[in-house]
Amino acid sequence: MEFRELLRAPGPILLDGGMGTMLQAKGLALGEHPELAALEHPDWLLDIHRAYVEAGTQILCANTFGANREKLKRTGKTVEEVIPPSIAIAREAAAGRALVALDLGPVGQLLEPTGSLDFETAVDIFAQQVRCAVSAGADLVMIETMTDLQECRAALLAVKENSGLPVLVSMTYEERGRTFLGHAPACAALTLEGMGADAIGINCSLGPREMPALVEELTRWTTLPVSVKPNAGLPDPGGAGYDITADQFAAAMAELTELGVKCYGGCCGTTPEYIARLKAALAGRTIREAPRRVPAAVCSPVCAVPIDRVRVIGERINPTGKKRMKEALLRDDIDYMLGQALEQTQAGADILDVNVGQPEIDEAAMMVKVVKALQGVTDAPLQLDSTRPEVLERALRVYCGKAIVNSVNGEEEALDAILPLVKKYGAAVVGLTLDKGGIPKTTQARMDIAEKILNKALSYGIRREDVYIDCLTLTVSAEQEAASQTLEALERVKKELGLKTVLGVSNISFGLPARPLVNQNFLTMAMTRGLDLPIINPNLEAMMAAVRSYHLLMNIDKEARDFIAAYGTAEVSTSILTNSSAPGGAAAAPEGERSLARIVEAGLKGEAGPAVRKLLETTDAMEVVDGILIPALDKVGADFEAGRVFLPQLIQAAGAAQAAFEVIREKLAAQPGGAGEPKGTVVLATVKGDIHDIGKNIVKVLLENYGYPVVDLGKDVEPAAVAEAARKHNAPLVGLSALMTTTLGSMADTIKLLRKEGIPCKVVVGGAVLTADYARQIGADFYAKDAKESVDVARQVIG
Amino acid sequence: MITVTRLNTGEILRYMGCPPERADQTLREQAEACARELLTIIRPRWSWRAVGIAFEPAGVRLENGLLLPGEDLQAHLAGCSRGAVFCATLGAETDALIRRTEQLDMGRALALDCCASAAVEEVCDQIELELQAKFPGCSFPFRYSPGYGDLPLEVQGPLLDLMDAPRRAGLCASASHLLTPRKSVTAILGVAEGEIERKKRSCLGCPAQGGCQYRKAGGHCGIS
Repeated sequence: MEFRELLRAPGPILLDGGMGTMLQAKGLALGEHPELAALEHPDWLLDIHRAYVEAGTQILCANTFGANREKLKRTGKTVEEVIPPSIAIAREAAAGRALVALDLGPVGQLLEPTGSLDFETAVDIFAQQVRCAVSAGADLVMIETMTDLQECRAALLAVKENSGLPVLVSMTYEERGRTFLGHAPACAALTLEGMGADAIGINCSLGPREMPALVEELTRWTTLPVSVKPNAGLPDPGGAGYDITADQFAAAMAELTELGVKCYGGCCGTTPEYIARLKAALAGRTIREAPRRVPAAVCSPVCAVPIDRVRVIGERINPTGKKRMKEALLRDDIDYMLGQALEQTQAGADILDVNVGQPEIDEAAMMVKVVKALQGVTDAPLQLDSTRPEVLERALRVYCGKAIVNSVNGEEEALDAILPLVKKYGAAVVGLTLDKGGIPKTTQARMDIAEKILNKALSYGIRREDVYIDCLTLTVSAEQEAASQTLEALERVKKELGLKTVLGVSNISFGLPARPLVNQNFLTMAMTRGLDLPIINPNLEAMMAAVRSYHLLMNIDKEARDFIAAYGTAEVSTSILTNSSAPGGAAAAPEGERSLARIVEAGLKGEAGPAVRKLLETTDAMEVVDGILIPALDKVGADFEAGRVFLPQLIQAAGAAQAAFEVIREKLAAQPGGAGEPKGTVVLATVKGDIHDIGKNIVKVLLENYGYPVVDLGKDVEPAAVAEAARKHNAPLVGLSALMTTTLGSMADTIKLLRKEGIPCKVVVGGAVLTADYARQIGADFYAKDAKESVDVARQVIG
Repeated sequence: MITVTRLNTGEILRYMGCPPERADQTLREQAEACARELLTIIRPRWSWRAVGIAFEPAGVRLENGLLLPGEDLQAHLAGCSRGAVFCATLGAETDALIRRTEQLDMGRALALDCCASAAVEEVCDQIELELQAKFPGCSFPFRYSPGYGDLPLEVQGPLLDLMDAPRRAGLCASASHLLTPRKSVTAILGVAEGEIERKKRSCLGCPAQGGCQYRKAGGHCGIS
């Protein structure tokens, strides 16, 4: 019987047990590579597999757990040499009594952002194994012992893109119910079911007694069959073994039939005896099949967000109408977007919309960069916002979790281009109720489009719960009757089609005075009609207040906990100041108020913005910069050099100055003629192979505070990427950082490449292991012993 | 199970580039607040193996066949007949917290990074005590890590494999042999029957000695 038939048939499926422990018992020496058993000890492997078949195993895992090209490097063998014989031996042992699975374990290096392995490289590593297994005749694939949901996704994609084999995906969790990387079972379930796994589960790390809580969590979030392969209890940290017997193991496992578990096996420390006892313990038991219903939800790897109340989608990462964001996109200033993301989540956004569409840039490449960077700093799920299928696909590939795709509309071509991507990557999708004819006037016509989108999505195999409809907000100053039509359509979509609803709210008030009033009231009206996912600016307190009040009044925020947490100590003013009653002019500075220079020197970030705003009322912006901010920073810099203040104070001062510069920048950007000619750009990178980047990041903050635009390429950067950025941004100065002696070589390579390509830039280097001598030796123009010296170099080179 | 309940503020301040006696109240409070925050999110995990060792011309051979090449470790382990290799990590959440904080407040990020360095040292100290207790009557030179002296970083991967570290602790080496998550350590603790000369950990064994900020400023980092 094939694996998918076994899954549908009643009764438990019996898997196998540990391999490593069995090989050691056979005599595998310490230091031998277990992956090579098929080549070096085929008779042992055959015996072990046979013993499992005798014990009742229905699916044998071939001995391929570590047979990927990275791990095999040390053995001198290739994937093509190892996988076929491993599968052949399992097949021989099975003798028609068991199926044979390609076993896929982790690559052995961590993926970005915790490690440095790139996602597509991981996909490629797994793909090689899968292709090999297909030609060797494997019946299915088991992805096992994963601690990173992103690595699971890479493996699962590799299976889906290179075979039609069924696939079981299993992760390993700690007692706290998370993987080593903090990834949650709920997120694994949502993501992996979305991407087409046939079964999902838990293996390794814990014993059977720790399984029930994890199984319950999984079954809340998936309709797929669940697999459990625990260790023989908990391990001894010194490697001495595991703590429960075969009988205890079998008894604890058999209890899991009550929780609906379908596949049963063992991991480290379990043997054919454990599996035989397990088979006996399962005999006569029936699996309790409770109906499961998985709610509409999206997730990142650590945070699942069910759409069971109003969930706020932050709208700020989008260049439309935002000058500063456009500038950030043109300058590759990813940090600006990260700042926007964190500001929104702190204000209460549950999900973040990400739109980087800008005519002058490569939208797909930027989208990939921004999505990866965002997932490095925020746990909020993302809504990937583009009209271009190729951009969406690139973003969906690297996004870890279940994303929202924003958006499709009623046009056939858009639906046929985008819905297959939504299905492949397991996302949810926003459907806009418009088509070639534009936005329909009548409610019924919008309903018709919504229904068409839903049916098309269902025909592609997308769950009903994953289709969200946006009935579209029109500007009420242009079409006053439109607001009520939007609300009516929204209500009908919710009630008649039973779908979740999305609405961009802010557009409603365009062209009107007192926009926050209109926006807030429209939001409240929409929520009472059934809006689930408002797309708003969460930094506007009035909008979040409307959401929190709604949850309070609808008895969703039990005992008003969230409301009180947010406003328990707030002073709320509901008065509206019309022009006639607004206070005239700026109030005189209160006595004792600190001067801006003093604020910067003391590093008081919170006070810097207000102080500079006040100052700008009476003083020219450039005068504030040249007369106050730069001298204040210089004073701190001089104190730092003299040992009167230290690195932390220098950074605090820089932070305060940055807050002040940000205000000035806004003001200049709003003036005719803009911000004037910016200074030359500095390109910064931590060199290839090195992942220590806090020093480089400190340099970046300081440079920015002196007004230098910085293009930060991050860590582990290829020499070619440095050269490309230096050329693209006409950078007069490139800064390279390395922390390890082992990566000084790539620093030298990078400088060599810059020179070879004739890029007219100066190079400054820094980092713990560097010396002025070595800097000269590798051809750097400058050596900076600390962050302050980097600024001195920039002044010398750029001015 | 390793738990860290407090960190040495002076050590954190030194890592931050500020002599403890020169730190003002604000800075001290920041270091302490960051230490508290860090201690709530770290998840120290570790793994170890007892290993037989043999001295060869090329270096120290572990009983599983792994060669730890170079002269410095040989000299360091003089008088030892066996060893314990161990690894420890604070976990990926620490990296994520520092990454996030860098976007919000670089000063705090620096403080957290330094707290994490102090914490991983503290974790190793505790592990070392626990391991020493498993070898009664023995003496131990200080723990020695890849990157010290002429012991290359290339041994990180095989050492981690020996301890089943990816599975036991979620600790891996990158393609360029750096440990990920970042706040992690691998080390070998020599075990000698009877007395040996107790060497102090010093700058001479430190990978950063060539360009160390503290040494440039005429001091040291405080790890001894």
